[in-house]
Amino acid sequence: MSRNFASWPLILVLGLLSLPLVIMYAFVFIDSFTNAPPGSMIPNEFTLEHWQFLIDPSIAGNVWSATLNTLIFACSIGAIVVSLSSMGGYALSRLNMPFRQFFLAGIMVMHAFPSVTLIIGVFLVLQFIGLYDTLIGVVFVKASLMLPFGIWIMKGFYDTVPWEIEMAGVQDGASRFTVWRRLILPQVKPGLIALVVFSFLDAWGEYVLPRILAPTADYRVLSVYLERVSQKDSITYDFNLFKAVGLYYTLPVIILFIIFQNRLMNIFSGGTKG
Amino acid sequence: MTENTSVERGINPGVATRPGDAETVKAARKGGPRISPFGILMLSPALLFLLAFFFAPVVLTAVFSFTNMTSATGITGGAYVISPNTLRNLEWQGMDKAVTESLSGTSITVDEAALSRAAEAGVDPDFLDDIESRLMGAHFEDARSFERELKTLPNRPRRIRDLKLAAEPFGQSILNTRFATRDQAVTAIDAVAPDLTEDQRDAVLTEAYTGWVWTTDNFKRLATTPATGRLLTNTALYVGLTLSIFNVGLGLFLAIAIFYMPKASGSVFSVLWLLPRITPVVLYAVMWRWFTWDDGFLPTLAAQFGLPSFNYMKGSVPTAWATIITLNGFIGASFGMILFSGALRAIPVQQLWASEVDGASRWQQVRKIILPQLKWPILFVTCYQSLSLLSSYQEIWLTTNGGPGNTTNVWALEAFRIALSNFTGNLEYGLGAAMALVLVVVGLTLSIIFLRLFKFGEMLEKPKIEF
Amino acid sequence: MNIKAFIGTAAIAIAAATSGAAHAEDYTITVWSGGTDDNSLYRVDAIEMAADYLERQAAIRGEDLNITIEKQVWSGWDDFKQAVTLAAESGTAPNIIVTGHEDIGPWSQAGILRPIEDYVDFDAWPLNQLYDNLIDVSSYDGMIWGIPQDAEARPFFMSKPDLKAIGYSDADIDALPGKIESGEYTLYDMLDDAKKMQDEGVVEPGYGFAPRVNNGTDYWQFYQSFGGEMVDPETGKLVFDKQAITDMYQFFVDAVEMGVTPKTYLGGEWDTFHTNVATGKYGAWHGGTWHKLQWENQYGLEDFFDNVSFSLIPAGNENGRPNTITHPLVYLISTQGTDDDAAISAELVAVASEPRINALHAVQSGHLAIGEAETTIPFYANDRWASEATEKLLPYANSIPNNADFGIYWEAMFKGLESAWAGTTSVEDAVNQAQATVENGLGDQIIIR
Repeated sequence: MSRNFASWPLILVLGLLSLPLVIMYAFVFIDSFTNAPPGSMIPNEFTLEHWQFLIDPSIAGNVWSATLNTLIFACSIGAIVVSLSSMGGYALSRLNMPFRQFFLAGIMVMHAFPSVTLIIGVFLVLQFIGLYDTLIGVVFVKASLMLPFGIWIMKGFYDTVPWEIEMAGVQDGASRFTVWRRLILPQVKPGLIALVVFSFLDAWGEYVLPRILAPTADYRVLSVYLERVSQKDSITYDFNLFKAVGLYYTLPVIILFIIFQNRLMNIFSGGTKG
Repeated sequence: MTENTSVERGINPGVATRPGDAETVKAARKGGPRISPFGILMLSPALLFLLAFFFAPVVLTAVFSFTNMTSATGITGGAYVISPNTLRNLEWQGMDKAVTESLSGTSITVDEAALSRAAEAGVDPDFLDDIESRLMGAHFEDARSFERELKTLPNRPRRIRDLKLAAEPFGQSILNTRFATRDQAVTAIDAVAPDLTEDQRDAVLTEAYTGWVWTTDNFKRLATTPATGRLLTNTALYVGLTLSIFNVGLGLFLAIAIFYMPKASGSVFSVLWLLPRITPVVLYAVMWRWFTWDDGFLPTLAAQFGLPSFNYMKGSVPTAWATIITLNGFIGASFGMILFSGALRAIPVQQLWASEVDGASRWQQVRKIILPQLKWPILFVTCYQSLSLLSSYQEIWLTTNGGPGNTTNVWALEAFRIALSNFTGNLEYGLGAAMALVLVVVGLTLSIIFLRLFKFGEMLEKPKIEF
Repeated sequence: MNIKAFIGTAAIAIAAATSGAAHAEDYTITVWSGGTDDNSLYRVDAIEMAADYLERQAAIRGEDLNITIEKQVWSGWDDFKQAVTLAAESGTAPNIIVTGHEDIGPWSQAGILRPIEDYVDFDAWPLNQLYDNLIDVSSYDGMIWGIPQDAEARPFFMSKPDLKAIGYSDADIDALPGKIESGEYTLYDMLDDAKKMQDEGVVEPGYGFAPRVNNGTDYWQFYQSFGGEMVDPETGKLVFDKQAITDMYQFFVDAVEMGVTPKTYLGGEWDTFHTNVATGKYGAWHGGTWHKLQWENQYGLEDFFDNVSFSLIPAGNENGRPNTITHPLVYLISTQGTDDDAAISAELVAVASEPRINALHAVQSGHLAIGEAETTIPFYANDRWASEATEKLLPYANSIPNNADFGIYWEAMFKGLESAWAGTTSVEDAVNQAQATVENGLGDQIIIR
């Protein structure tokens, strides 16, 4: 950009501001592989003992079934969000419908709702359809909470697709559905990928919903698993173990994030977290 | 980042798509705009989900907020139970003692009628013979003494539960019986206390009902409890400070700093600042604990320099506030950062070069050229993130949990605690719903205001193909 | 009990019982327990042992009885109570619930529970030897709803070395519990001593007196120390004793002002508290009998009896009395499942209350006996802590009331305490605030004195 100003003072200031973050993340990594003498922060030995939970379920429970649950959980949410949003977004972007503006405004407003505080209502709905205390129920709820955002994002992507593509298809005699599937969807592929990764990441980190809506152990996901490990007054409490589990839990997120970094940047600007 | 602009057009109203100039093609058909059934079809799966898990819960919350629903009344309705407590309450309300006594009367009599009731209920005939031969005509004050007698009989059932079931037909009391419907309760009351007046019976039934009733007390309680004011102040403080210092302030600084930086270091920083956003909240909360705890990083470091060293997260009110604002702000800063970065890229580079030729300092450049460009994005971030922050509580819950001494409690967290998570287990769903409803109304009002502010109508493009 | 509704099930149950159980009977019984850590797993394991016993008993009779126990424990209370109430609403509640006795009020009203007195024989062993006051605690509104699972006391602890350092002789220290019991040594005397310890440098500033770190039954003890009553014995209504609440709030504010307790103490971590206790950092503190086991097993406290003096919670002023509160957990039977499931669940609970089985829990977790016979089991009687605590504390223990509305009062009391303690409001305002909350929430169900 502008080359007239030196950039090192800025890098320095920014580096100082970012120091807490760097330290926190660095120590998650360091502590999970090392031991430090009591009362010190500086590690003095390398060890893999904190990672034994991976092979020994007696340490903190079966991490693999929790991983599998979380994987199923996050993948289903990604699939639901991306398929419903790509359909709904297209409708709102391109098709003539009654109350179109109302729908769009509604989705905008929902986007900003205190969704988690409505959880008693959500519970009743789940109970009514018999999905309380099941993983699939939590999947539906979480996916629904993400839908307004997903539709909004997808509408933005569709808005940028030139009309000419559609018109050409329509004039060739294809149905509107075929046009959407064959011609338009490939145009918004970056959006689809970004949305699916984003919803996967968001679902991967979800904590409150599984804890409240699926409380029994069969459906334990990694966030709940990690929280159990962090119970401070249990005999098994071990901070380095917590960090190892935490790192194990977060690693897929960071890897996905780094791979899809550029695509995700688009989406984070509409993120749902505070 | 070529795709970047596409989304920002969707989100950022400053550059939202305007109604196109290109002519609408009405394929194969003339006349006015036509409704597309295909559109409804495409939208309906999403609508279905939103209806079930978004709209329905909002409606239910609104309904609950006008009830006195708690974990004691249950959610799905109550029953009618006349218990000693019910009678005691009735007496306090001035009910005639004769009435309550007639309702509480327990009598266990072994007579023909009772024996035939028992036979009908399927009690073992041998056991009934025992009862008939040894206890006929006997009268007992309470079930326990009757059961004691029964236990002495030769043909008593082996299982104690069966013995109790066999004893049941002999009792006439309606005390502590759970009647599922009002009609059943009325029938039972009429049987034991036929001389009750209509009003008395209604009073009894009202007192005996265990379920929830309609009320506006929740809102009265919220309006009159002094704690409400404190919560509101906390919430405003939390949203205001986090928003101004981090979501906007730091976000702006990050965006501008990265803008002026070489590309490589800029992207390192932007990745770093996005990490808090993607880190699972459970881990993120504990990382902060580790950072600010008694024997955590910061206090240990502070001790080395002779500064006050204690549990910063919970040890004092100012540090607790600093902690929750910073840890929430670190998540939120990236939102502003990305949005502002997008807007910065839209500034013509020539304009910046020109100002540098004119000898503008960096500060002047920022103030005169960059900030005016960011007016709308800043407003957008403010509106949007204030809503997110209003309803966020997870981070506070997992870290200070409102402490020390309830000083960092906010509205959303309190609603969650009252309705779903408190130590005594007496969950007040009704009051919690009322608190959630307040948030819904505030959120709704704010979003309508800012939809107006951003000329929402212009964000819609008219469909150019109509069929 | 709905007579009509039960006639049907009764017929089936009796038919099944009389038809001679030739076929195999399979039961799956779920048991959930709250507030249960690794020390107290016998709360659910005892049910498993009982199932084994019942199966053997049936085998001898020539019946084929299979009981599968599905157990789940929660280490905290918030999550557990939330899970139970929501599960009950959705019809997936566990058959057996292990929880604090105060839940009997709201849960019986909500129809979640079956009164256990309909399923077990309180005249037969082992239920006939349970302490009467514990049976009372398990009763509500004229019925016995549960069977006590454990009892405990919440003693006041002081550090013997620290007392010595401020001039107490060994004899003085030994006499201290007696002086507390007679009311001679009050909470304010304790604050003075704690202050002295700090001034002499035996404990660090702010570590003189360490109360419970979060909300809990314990704080009602201080209300009682200042003469408060939770329930009016005559009418059975809750009592909000303004003077006692004021004195109690004031006591903690005074402790803060004297510098023996930090202003921001509430909301701290158990982990820190336990570590500080085990490393002898506190001068005076209070906790539960079960904490002693945690300090020893998890935090490495050694020579408890040489280092720590324990007693009742001292009286606060002339209105109050030295006291301790026991907060028994109870086994409850839910309305989940058939009547047969409930009958089996109740039998399991009765067997699990066998003194020898219960003693395993009591000794392992530092809880106290639930019945007379248990105190004579050598395993229990030879455990110094269990027997001393039973002898010195249990006779003075009372419990919080079983009242569906008590939770609202409790929350209000604690919130007021929090704000007075942290100094965000004056004591007077905090009391008024608490009073307003209970008046709003409970109306004439609570007597304001």
